[in-house]
Amino acid sequence: MWLPLMGLIIGVIIGLLTDIRIPAEYSNYLSIAILAALDTLFGGIRAQLQNIYDEKVFVSGFFFNILLAASLAFLGVHLGVDLYLAAVFAFGVRLFQNIAVIRRILLTKWTSSGEK
Amino acid sequence: MMGSQKNVYFTITASIIGFMVAIQFQTVSEPVVRDTRDTWELRNDLMSEKEIESELLQEIQTFEDTLAKYEDEREQSKGKLLKETLNELKNEAGMTDVSGPGITLTIRPIINEIGREVQMAYISPSLLQRLLNELNMYGAKYVSIDEQRVISTTVIRDIGTVTKIDGHSLNRLPIVIKVITEDEEKAERLFKRMEISPVVEDFNMDSLKVELSNPEENITIPGYKDPIRIRYMEPADNGVGGDG
Repeated sequence: MWLPLMGLIIGVIIGLLTDIRIPAEYSNYLSIAILAALDTLFGGIRAQLQNIYDEKVFVSGFFFNILLAASLAFLGVHLGVDLYLAAVFAFGVRLFQNIAVIRRILLTKWTSSGEK
Repeated sequence: MMGSQKNVYFTITASIIGFMVAIQFQTVSEPVVRDTRDTWELRNDLMSEKEIESELLQEIQTFEDTLAKYEDEREQSKGKLLKETLNELKNEAGMTDVSGPGITLTIRPIINEIGREVQMAYISPSLLQRLLNELNMYGAKYVSIDEQRVISTTVIRDIGTVTKIDGHSLNRLPIVIKVITEDEEKAERLFKRMEISPVVEDFNMDSLKVELSNPEENITIPGYKDPIRIRYMEPADNGVGGDG
């Protein structure tokens, strides 16, 4: 359980140390990608807690969602429509749902373990 | 081990997310400092910026001035060069006064047996020309006859029994011939040459006497006074003259 958290911290540290900066016009894509990745991550956690986790789904979902979100944003920029908002909306809603599910599962686990 | 593999995936995913988040942070958090200045501070800053602006403008002005000066100088130096060349050419053509070491020859009538000057003030052009040739042969650089500068177009000829040099009559003796040489050594040599020159003898036959002065350090010869008229010369085609 602690390993993913450590991975997150390591990733942040590496990112800060390498001092990489992307051009400002691409920061939109990156934010969407981060949102997609977070969505996938929480989806994976939820699936694991619900015991329906499938690593193929998880890994493919991770990369596919990132690419889809980025390409949606790209398309939006070129069509003049803020399509990335759609991605933000979709991922945001799913993020909330996933986190809510995780919270409920954890709550039931905690209460059931408290009753024991 | 199913669990550990899952954890590895999660870890990798999490680290990628962390990496992306860090990059996004660095990209987005560029303007760290918020502008919290009030009106007066802004005014002051504006003032200082304006001062800097005016300083920069001044600097530009000075640089432009310098540039203009340089260009001016270039133009002038062109003019100066031309003037120098002109002066050189004038000097060469004999339009300017020159001075230097040399000798003077004075032609006067000889004194006959009864102690009186023979009044036969006539110098034949051919004699004068011979003398000039002699002088030129022995290192004369600039010559003037009776304050008339001898240049390359000078004519010495008989016009109605009066010998004239470029229109100036040589009928009043004594006539002074000034000769400037390259240096004092050459003046000395010229003096010695003229002392033994047969031309001086020829003058004697015309009842004239040539008095040689010792070499002097500084003789001034006037420049040619009349404009030089060029009637039969034309500029050579470019490149044909050899200096094109």
